[in-house]
Amino acid sequence: MRNFVGRYLPPPAPRGARKAAAGKLLLPNELSWHDYAVFLLHVAAEVEHSLMVQYLYAAYSLGGAEIKDGRHEDARQWREVILGIAKEEMGHLITVQNILRLIGGPLHLEREDYPFRSDFYPFYFKLEPATKDSLAKYVVAEAPEDWLKTAKGKLIRDRARKADNQREILPVGTLYEKLIDLFKDRHALTADDFRTDTEPYQANWDEWGRGYGDGQRGNMGLTSPRGTPHLLVMRTTDRHSVLDALHSIAKQGEAPTLDTGRKNPDQKSHFERFLTIYEAFPEDDPPSRNIPTNPSTVERQNDDPVKASLACTIITAPESLLWANLFNVRYRKLLFTLKHALHVKAGDAVDRPTARGNLIAWTFGEMYNLRSIAGILVTLPLCEDGGDARAAPPFEVAYTLALPDWDSDKWRVQRDLILASARIIRELDEQLGPTHEPHREYLRALRDHDKRELEVVETLLTAAADFEAEQEASS
Amino acid sequence: MTIRGLRILPPFAIGRLGSSPEPLENYDVRVAEDDPLGFRQIHGAETLVVDRHRGTIVRSYTPRSIKFKDAGGRVKPVAPFLEVWADVDGVLVPLTTSLLAENKLSVDDVEWRAQVGNLKAFRRTNKPPDRIEADTGWFRGHGLHLLTGRCENFLRGRSIPFGDVQFISPGRKFPEIRLRFTPAKGLIYGAKKRSQEGDLTGGVVYDTRRGTWSGYSDSYARPTSIVTAPSPIYANLDDPRSTSRGYLDDECDGIVEVRIMADKRPVLQAFARIGAGPPDFAPDSFPVRTVADELEQALLGPNPDNDEVSLEWTEEIIRRAFETVRLQNTAALNGNPIDGGVANSMSTQDTNWNRAQEPIMAPAIVDSKALQALHQSVFAAIRSGSATWFGQVLRKFDEVGDLTDRGRRKMPAMMRGADGLHLALTRRQYNAVLGSGNKQATSEDARAATFTAPTTPPGKETE
Repeated sequence: MRNFVGRYLPPPAPRGARKAAAGKLLLPNELSWHDYAVFLLHVAAEVEHSLMVQYLYAAYSLGGAEIKDGRHEDARQWREVILGIAKEEMGHLITVQNILRLIGGPLHLEREDYPFRSDFYPFYFKLEPATKDSLAKYVVAEAPEDWLKTAKGKLIRDRARKADNQREILPVGTLYEKLIDLFKDRHALTADDFRTDTEPYQANWDEWGRGYGDGQRGNMGLTSPRGTPHLLVMRTTDRHSVLDALHSIAKQGEAPTLDTGRKNPDQKSHFERFLTIYEAFPEDDPPSRNIPTNPSTVERQNDDPVKASLACTIITAPESLLWANLFNVRYRKLLFTLKHALHVKAGDAVDRPTARGNLIAWTFGEMYNLRSIAGILVTLPLCEDGGDARAAPPFEVAYTLALPDWDSDKWRVQRDLILASARIIRELDEQLGPTHEPHREYLRALRDHDKRELEVVETLLTAAADFEAEQEASS
Repeated sequence: MTIRGLRILPPFAIGRLGSSPEPLENYDVRVAEDDPLGFRQIHGAETLVVDRHRGTIVRSYTPRSIKFKDAGGRVKPVAPFLEVWADVDGVLVPLTTSLLAENKLSVDDVEWRAQVGNLKAFRRTNKPPDRIEADTGWFRGHGLHLLTGRCENFLRGRSIPFGDVQFISPGRKFPEIRLRFTPAKGLIYGAKKRSQEGDLTGGVVYDTRRGTWSGYSDSYARPTSIVTAPSPIYANLDDPRSTSRGYLDDECDGIVEVRIMADKRPVLQAFARIGAGPPDFAPDSFPVRTVADELEQALLGPNPDNDEVSLEWTEEIIRRAFETVRLQNTAALNGNPIDGGVANSMSTQDTNWNRAQEPIMAPAIVDSKALQALHQSVFAAIRSGSATWFGQVLRKFDEVGDLTDRGRRKMPAMMRGADGLHLALTRRQYNAVLGSGNKQATSEDARAATFTAPTTPPGKETE
């Protein structure tokens, strides 16, 4: 995706492109309309995923014992609001997968790694602590177009541009507008492009929502706007439900006034929530931890001047590095398990353990693990030679999230991930000093949990392998 | 060392039924440090061996392993000791023969009495002749005193044995004043009915010519009837009227009293409560809400002090949650269709309140393995120091009747409370979970944050 995205950008001029009947859309030369829809949905998935990760990182950065007096409550409130937005981005990501499933496109949970940006992405991917500058980028990325023309909008847009290497921030709503136009167009996407048999594979709110609706969860301090967070996990069955899903996503986050006929954005929108935080956020001494920009477990070459400005900070403290490795493995496990779950049909069997049930539970379990390991990382030193700087979760992208063709091989990947994690846990356990007993307790619980999960994985792997052997023998 | 008062400890002792003549050995239950998500481990603890004929303790020992059944496969009863403690100038000390002597008293001045009952049938019929009660009267000496359950509506000469009590003779090695309660075998008694005789392991005791328990049915129309929800939770014929089979058991509860006599008058006295329940078939797991939680709330109130709440408390509640899940067929409890039918569960019982019958959670995500894994992930996260983020998922005490999808999906899920509605944690437990989350989120706490902050200023940890 990353290497090829430029070829599929919207053509700069009509030459060489075919116009859609509606006259709005331009089709890249190498794609069909259906293919273009899949491409745009892949971009949307990457954007949602990237935003979610960056928002999580910003939320993780807020708080800590070093904050000046009086700022703790602000930090707690802002953290809760941003975490709520990140969860909603997760809902968007899953809904986009459902649409991909409906039109027969491959699911896509990959994302850009730093430093990267295409003309579709709102800004350079950058994991950074929350600052007024980073918040300006988030505000503009989520802003409605009309607002950007206001005096306040222009000021914040300028600030955001400076913070993003002088690149103009692209509102995410633009992408959704394109998607909505494309899906509206009955000539571009015909009835044949919508499969009628995909619903059992799609994620639904009852299984994936976990009660995060109308602010019933994730708003403990009641500081998020009423009714938020509100996770959108929408199944799609036809053109109408796709448009409904796209409108809902756009309305919630990226373009709150789009097609709503409202002049004032809803305070529940991501834009409005970020703007509220931005306006209250201090210029100096942000209530953030001393964590790096773009933490990394490996050194990266930065020959390009733009890339150099987005340089990664390598975690060198040995124990922190191991925790960062563990974080990366669990991050990969989360994404792989999510993808795996979305490939298991909701079957009729509901009276016994099911692969789908286990995969969904494990997906949420990995979210808790990321939360825990991130919480530990931000208390540990960044550098081997000490200093005040703390480490942070690197969210590094795995070499692949592709699912193997055979079911048994999918379970093999699950086993690989548990074993890789076990090795790091063992090494960490050996390295931890006596002062880190709480961390050791967490590792024990994680190891115990993995041991049990591995038993289930082995059982499912054997069952799948036996089934495949039977199929092979009978064919 | 003047004795100012007496106490019986524990003030509430729960025996467990068992037909073996050997009582269960004493044991502790601990969480293994290197297996935090595993079963709790059962460790033998100091056990007193009583010669029931002589009423003396012959030895004490610590069993290497605990067997809950004897060689014949019979369940060993849990037979608790009730120890008398003396208030000596404001300090509680065990009452011993030497302390009695110091106060010019002797073992012969100590008297006991036990009064227990089984009022289950009376609770339904509201007819006093259905009360089954036993009273030892005041006694001295160290013989066995049977708890013979008598009832006006029993056949002549019939009774239900509720077990016995025995004042243990203090000796040189074990000079403490104590009584042992040995509960009954766990048998079923009832009325003479040919079709049911095979069930009545204890025999026929109930006189159907006098009492109405056999054939009784709950009725909202009867003014004296105290109907529970759901109502027919007694052995019945499974007919439309839920007609009682008239069964009775040998569980009981009541009061044990001790008094010290001087000049034929009681000068010091105390009481404790005893009860007998069924055997614990999962002694290495604890339910998410226990009688101990109820008592603690009754004693200490619904709001724990800030310094009482801790992550460990929350951790224990979550541990009990996955232990509870481990024992359940959660798919059945959720109301998932199984073998073409739906098990009796909260999903079916909610229909008593005119709610449509449907599973509580999405059917695919409720199998026990998946739910255990999820709870164990939450447990691990709490262990890492993450503040509790799930307070909003917990059912509040006044939400037990919320039968919306959202209400039914709150935690603890799929379980029934004492009022027939969905189970909630005690208010004290609930506030403890919320309190531990708030504690971590308060600005004064160095660990403030959903994601823990350093407990020492940055850079200090490595020094």
